[in-house]
Amino acid sequence: MLNINEATKIFNKNTPDEHIALNNLSLEVSDGEFVTIIGGNGAGKSTLFNAISGTMMCESGTISLDGQDITHMAEFKRAEFIGRIFQDPMRGTAPHLTVGENLIIAYMRSIKKNMLGIPSKKEKNYIKERLAALNLGLEDRMNTKIGLLSGGQRQAVTLVMATLVKPKLLLLDEHTAALDPVSAKSVIDLTNKIVSENNITTLMITHNITSALAMGTRTIMMDSGTIAVDIRGDERKELTVQDVLKKFNSVKKKEFDDDNVLL
Amino acid sequence: MNLVSIIGAIELGLVYSLLAFGTYISFRILNVADLTVDGSFVLGAAVSAMFAYSNMPVAGIALAVLCGGLAGMVTASLQTKMGIQPILSGILTMTGLYSINLMVMDGKANIPLLNKTNIFTYAEKMFNTKLYKILALLIIIGTVFAMLNWFFRTQLGLSIRATGDNEDMCRASSIDTDFIKMVGFSLSNSIVALSGALVAQMQQSADINMGSGMVVISFASIIIGSVIIKNKNITAGLLSVIIGSVIYRFIIALILTTSFPPSYLKLISSLVVVTALSLPNVKRKIETSKLRKERK
Repeated sequence: MLNINEATKIFNKNTPDEHIALNNLSLEVSDGEFVTIIGGNGAGKSTLFNAISGTMMCESGTISLDGQDITHMAEFKRAEFIGRIFQDPMRGTAPHLTVGENLIIAYMRSIKKNMLGIPSKKEKNYIKERLAALNLGLEDRMNTKIGLLSGGQRQAVTLVMATLVKPKLLLLDEHTAALDPVSAKSVIDLTNKIVSENNITTLMITHNITSALAMGTRTIMMDSGTIAVDIRGDERKELTVQDVLKKFNSVKKKEFDDDNVLL
Repeated sequence: MNLVSIIGAIELGLVYSLLAFGTYISFRILNVADLTVDGSFVLGAAVSAMFAYSNMPVAGIALAVLCGGLAGMVTASLQTKMGIQPILSGILTMTGLYSINLMVMDGKANIPLLNKTNIFTYAEKMFNTKLYKILALLIIIGTVFAMLNWFFRTQLGLSIRATGDNEDMCRASSIDTDFIKMVGFSLSNSIVALSGALVAQMQQSADINMGSGMVVISFASIIIGSVIIKNKNITAGLLSVIIGSVIYRFIIALILTTSFPPSYLKLISSLVVVTALSLPNVKRKIETSKLRKERK
C-alpha cells in the first residue's frame, strides 16, 4: 500500500520564479489498485513520480510503501521495489548491452547478494521464458544489442525489466507517448496483461483520456500540485471522455475551444 | 628496422597495453575520458621504483597497484560525492598527484635503478632467453586479461558496463551508480599504475614527467586496435587494445628510423587520435556535400 501524506515540493523557493509543484498532496493507493493519472502540463504529475521514486526529495510530508517510510530513502535503494518506466524508450535500457544483459541487470535486484557471481544458465533461461511470454519473438534476439531494437520493442523490454522481479509499486510515466499508434497499443496491451496477471499496484500518467478511463481501476486528475478529481468504481464506469473534459475545464476554470488541446 | 628495435617495440607495446587496458575501462566502458591516468601512471612508477631501490621490487609493484586504485577512488569521489565534472575531476587528481609523486620519490625528479634487482632480472634468470622481458610481460598481461575478461561477466562487471551506457537505467534497476564508478575508476587506475610500475623496472628509472601524454598514447592504442578488431564485446575489446598498443609502438619505432626528430612523437600521437575520432564525422560531411553536388 502506498501512502503519501501532505507532500509538498516547491521549486525555486523564495524567488520570483517560485513554483509549487506539489501542494500538501495526500494520496492512498491500496494493494493491487491500478490508478491512471491525468492533468495538464505543470500539474505536478511527474513531480509526484519523482518524489515517489526518490529522484528528488519533498520539502515536507511523508511517503511510505507497505508501512515502510521511504521519504528520504536513496533512489537506487527504493528501485529495489519500485519499478519505473519513462516516456523516452531510450532511457530505460542500456543501448550497447544485449537484450539478455539488460534483463540480467534488472533481475539482479533479486539475486544481488553475490556481486562477483556470473548469472547462471538457469537464471538466463528464466529470463528468456519471461520474455517469450510476451509473444513478440524477442526471446530469439537475446544476444542483439538493444540499441538496434525499435522504440516499441525497447519499451516492451523495459516493461519486462521493471516487472521481472515483482515490484511493490509500478510507475508508468507516459510510457507510450513517444511510440507510434500500433506500437503504443501493443505496449498498452502488454501493460494490462503484465499488471493484471501479477496483480501489481500501478500508477500510470497519461495524456490519453480514453485509455485513462479504459485502463485500471481508478482515475485521478491533478491540478496545481493537488488532486482535483478522484474517481473509481461505478461512477468511473459510466464516465465518458466528455465528462472528464468538462470536469477538467471546471477545474481549470477555462473553456477550451476543442478537445485537441487536451488530446 | 633491426631485430633489436623490433623486440624493443614489442616489449614497449606489451607493457603499455596494460596502460591501455586501464583507459579502456574508463574511456570505453565508463564512457569518461579519465585524465587521472597521467598522474596515476607516474604514481605507480614512483612507488615501484622506490621499493625496487630498496631491493623489494615485487612489493613495489603490489603497492603501486594499490596506490593507483586509491587515486582512481579520489577521482570517482570528486565526480560522485562532490559533483565535479568528470573531466575536471581527472585533471584535479592528476595535478594533485604531481606533488604526491614528488613526495614519494623523496623530492627527486628522477630515481635511477641501475644495477638494482627488479622483476625482469628474476625473469632473465628463469627463462634463459633474450626474449625474457616479452615472456614475463606476456604472463602478466595474460593474467590481467583473464581476470578482466572474467570480471566484466560478473554482476559487478556487468553493472559497470551498464553504468557507462545508461546511468538512469542502472539507478532504476537498484544499482548504486556512485559505488560502481568508485569500483570502475579504481580498477582502471590500478591497472594504469601497474603499467607504470612495470615500465619503471623495465627501463630502470622513474621520472616525474614520464606520465605526460599517457592518456593520448593509450587512446591512440585503443583506437588503432578498434580499427583492426571491430567486434565490441569485452574479450575482443581487450585483445584489440593489446594489438593496438603493439602496432602503435611499431609506428613510433618506424618513425624513429627516419630522420624525423623524436620530439615530434607527441604531436603525432595527438594527430592519430584526432584523425581517428574525427573520421566518422568527416566522412559524413564529405558524403553530404557529395549528395548536395549531385542535386545541382
